[in-house]
Amino acid sequence: MWERDSWIEVAHNVLAHPLRTALTGVSVALGIFILVVMQGLGFGLQHGVEQQFADDAVNSIWVEGGRTQMAYRGNQSNRPVKLNNGDIPGLATQADTVPAYSRRIRMWGAEVVWENPDGENQSGNFGLRGVDPAHIELERSNLLSGRFINERDVLESRKVAVVGPNIVEELFRSAEPVGAFVRINGVLFQVVGTFEDPGSRWENRVTYVPFSTAQSLFRSDDSFDQIIYSTGAMTTDATVAQSGRMLGWLKDVKAVHPDDSRGVRVDNNNEEYAMYASIFEGIRLFIWGIGLMTLLAGAVGVANILAIGVKERTKEIGVRKALGATNGSIVSLVVMESTVLMLVSGSLGLMLAVGLLTTVAPMANHEYFQNPQVDHRIALFALMVLVLVGLASGLGPALRAVAIRPVEALRDE
Amino acid sequence: MIHLQGITKSYTTGAQSLQVLKGVDLRVDAGELVAIMGSSGSGKSTLLNILGLLDAYDGGQYQLDGRDMAGLSERRAAEMRREMLGFVFQSFNLINFKSAAENVSLPLYYQQVPRKERTRRAHELLDRVGLLDWADHLPSQLSGGQKQRVAIARALAAKPRVILADEPTGALDSSTSEDVMVLLKELNAEGMTMVVVTHENEIARACGRTIRLRDGLVETGMDVGA
Repeated sequence: MWERDSWIEVAHNVLAHPLRTALTGVSVALGIFILVVMQGLGFGLQHGVEQQFADDAVNSIWVEGGRTQMAYRGNQSNRPVKLNNGDIPGLATQADTVPAYSRRIRMWGAEVVWENPDGENQSGNFGLRGVDPAHIELERSNLLSGRFINERDVLESRKVAVVGPNIVEELFRSAEPVGAFVRINGVLFQVVGTFEDPGSRWENRVTYVPFSTAQSLFRSDDSFDQIIYSTGAMTTDATVAQSGRMLGWLKDVKAVHPDDSRGVRVDNNNEEYAMYASIFEGIRLFIWGIGLMTLLAGAVGVANILAIGVKERTKEIGVRKALGATNGSIVSLVVMESTVLMLVSGSLGLMLAVGLLTTVAPMANHEYFQNPQVDHRIALFALMVLVLVGLASGLGPALRAVAIRPVEALRDE
Repeated sequence: MIHLQGITKSYTTGAQSLQVLKGVDLRVDAGELVAIMGSSGSGKSTLLNILGLLDAYDGGQYQLDGRDMAGLSERRAAEMRREMLGFVFQSFNLINFKSAAENVSLPLYYQQVPRKERTRRAHELLDRVGLLDWADHLPSQLSGGQKQRVAIARALAAKPRVILADEPTGALDSSTSEDVMVLLKELNAEGMTMVVVTHENEIARACGRTIRLRDGLVETGMDVGA
């Protein structure tokens, strides 16, 4: 009964001062709103970048041939540089450990034909890659059914294929692809598995075949396009040193000028990821900074309004005391008022922010901005900060107000 | 009912100390209507605040209804105010965002009287002061005289033993002043003990007895007979 009564008294006092309530409420709601929305946007950026790196393993080094731009050691510029099977032992000597790797032969367009049970040919033009077994981890693909290319496939140059979801969809539709036979550029292959890739759409329009099969069928020499090395649990610094050594060794072997950046390429995902990670750490700190400053500004505004409110109520407080209110009951009244105000308007700002982010999230699908979301811990933290500020900013003036003797409060000017 | 003996009180502002009450002796019996008069600076407001337990006194003895009021804690003083005393102020001091009925029921809120009972009693008291029809009006919608009658109803709400009125007619014109005094006298006739601080002779004459303060002391031999 008493409890309910004091809440009614609180509600009455809050609603009796619409302007003051609105001012306080708006600054609190705004503080929470901005903090939560900023955090949401920060998460959106972070997800975007993580998505970018979800395509390939972060702990990998990508080695690739190119075209020279500078004449060197008697070679003209504009000379194509190819990697060969013979380079692999040499590259391995530059690595800290014997790394898992996958060579890669790329074909941008290969015709894949499947004769369905009705005797009709289903065909399409898809990408083809000849790879080693480790490729599935390095490319971060997920096996959906069957198996991936294995060691024996490569050793025996078997004609087996692992197909992506787009191929399954366009050729096989609801039929079972694993075990089926397809013609790839006229050569018969058996499908042994299906996969999907979190990267771009292109990655899902690819057929994987054993590296050796692709090299013998589609290359006239022992060249290949890329080799991808895993760096395991190496530190970023160690991987940077390793990719530098690999690049130096390769340039020397391939007679590429040391300053020629296009002749051969060694891309270190570790380094790139570390760079992005530090950039986004910075952005996150920045967002935190802005959010906290906004919250602080809101809190100061609230404290100010509450202080003025209590000052303005000195007389009312005097009257209440004359009517038998204890200091405790007055302080608790003021503190309850400010806390209720904070909680209600803070929750309102929180709901608005969550609503906005939820509405915007499905629309936000930029490469570097995806799935903004609310961190509930941050929202709770912000709300707690506001409640504490509310308590503190209400408590100070209330204590000062009750310390004034009612005599002085009630004295007529 | 009220018994003061040698009450002293001084205020310190900065380095200066000002002795406002220099040993006040005062006796108010149950059912009396007493006026306290004095020029400004005579200490009458201070005396009223001490009587009302809104301010502490430095020395002397204050007995209210036979109980010693020395060294009351803030909480205990609030308790005594709630049980024993009703206040009427010059500037009414109604809470401006509460209706007449809510103002009247506020002391009952602090006595933890249930809400329904508070409202019932507030309406009863507003009826007593002739303002039942105004129960739901805000103070800003009432005239000065009406406000003071609401304040009197509020002072009566907690069934106090003594009503302390500080210049109850100070902000009113003469005809409404008279209405208010008539109301106070009626309440006195019903047995309520009252102390009225005033500087108006007319108001003092309407009271049963007048006590004059001068320079922090009660002037002797100046009592106006009943």
